[in-house]
Amino acid sequence: MNSIDVDLVIWLNGLSGNVKIFDDLIRLIASDYLMPLVFSLAMFGLWFSGKNPAERMRYQLTMLIGISALSLSNVVVWLINITWDRPRPFVEHGDELNLLFYPPTDPSFPANPVAVGFAAAMAAWSINRTFGWWMFAAAALYGFSRLYAGIFYPTDILGGAVVGIAVYWFTLYLRRFLEPFVTSFIALVRGLSAA
Amino acid sequence: MITDPEAVRDVFASHYFFFAFLAGLGTLQIAVANSGIRGLWLTPNRLVNRWLGVVLILTGIAVFFGQPLWIEGPWAAGSIQADSVTREWGQANWSELAGARNVNDIHGGLDGTKQAIWFPLAAIVAFAVAAIAGTLTIKISRDNSSSGEIGADDSADQPGVGLEGLTHRSYFANLPSSLRTFRSEVGDIWRNGLTKADRWSLLRLIFGRSSN
Repeated sequence: MNSIDVDLVIWLNGLSGNVKIFDDLIRLIASDYLMPLVFSLAMFGLWFSGKNPAERMRYQLTMLIGISALSLSNVVVWLINITWDRPRPFVEHGDELNLLFYPPTDPSFPANPVAVGFAAAMAAWSINRTFGWWMFAAAALYGFSRLYAGIFYPTDILGGAVVGIAVYWFTLYLRRFLEPFVTSFIALVRGLSAA
Repeated sequence: MITDPEAVRDVFASHYFFFAFLAGLGTLQIAVANSGIRGLWLTPNRLVNRWLGVVLILTGIAVFFGQPLWIEGPWAAGSIQADSVTREWGQANWSELAGARNVNDIHGGLDGTKQAIWFPLAAIVAFAVAAIAGTLTIKISRDNSSSGEIGADDSADQPGVGLEGLTHRSYFANLPSSLRTFRSEVGDIWRNGLTKADRWSLLRLIFGRSSN
């Protein structure tokens, strides 16, 4: 399994260096700012997107769950990181990789950006399937860019996706324990004319 | 990196805030145009708002990722290479632009926590700007024509509070009734929520399961 993991990242990263514009596009997508902002904007936009009060309430509850899942997935990734410090691909196979991104210092498994992306995509998917699939595609593209850049193994990406989805479901369940705080919070924001 | 990470972080934070503000305002315009929340429209026309939203998002992206071309920062002289330690302070050129923003957070890039602080602040400012602009838009639209496209009415007898109220009122006309409704309903919301809450709800665990 580990061998396939290594072979895949070396093969994929080996495609870099041929078409500069494609490598540049990967550098932009892999950036710490572009895709995370896309996920945040999706949450922000969906907050205001319902056509009537009932639909808006449903969207806003889901967005709160999504934002909580997004934060919680960072904690889960951190917990896994302190349990298993998997070295990054460029640490173990630096001479075979053409690094397109700065070398991160945190452990490789699971891919934190992918976990966050999939948690946000799950929230979007649960209220709007079409938009949700686009979000999943964006999260997968973000993972692919990091893989192509040589800073994650494929299993890190898969692990991140599983963490993101699992944490979303857990947060959905957790909401039941936090009521009536969640509903009251939305009522407060509605009082401020923002929900 | 030859520069103090704190100095780099200040540059990144201000640029990111502006980026998030523009993109947030654009996203807000697309969302409120689609859902008919006229109190937050920047212009009286739905279609114009939608396209303005797209333009604002694209402008935010272009400005943020293009800034290294004309603003000095930690991106020049080697930013085409992955390692953010070897970079020098200066302006990037076109060939190194795509990777110019890829600076590790330990060298001054913004980590997830910092972004989680700056993004909501930028979103709140974007909302405030839309609320002020929406108020002006409604006022101008009402003054100019009684049959203007926006068709909004600031009268307090219109139904709805919160965003629903903003479909036909300006933010500042809507705020008092929304706050009044919140004050009058919060008790019921709390009690009903507590009654309907899961038997393992934290509050029911704290105050006892007989609270319903």
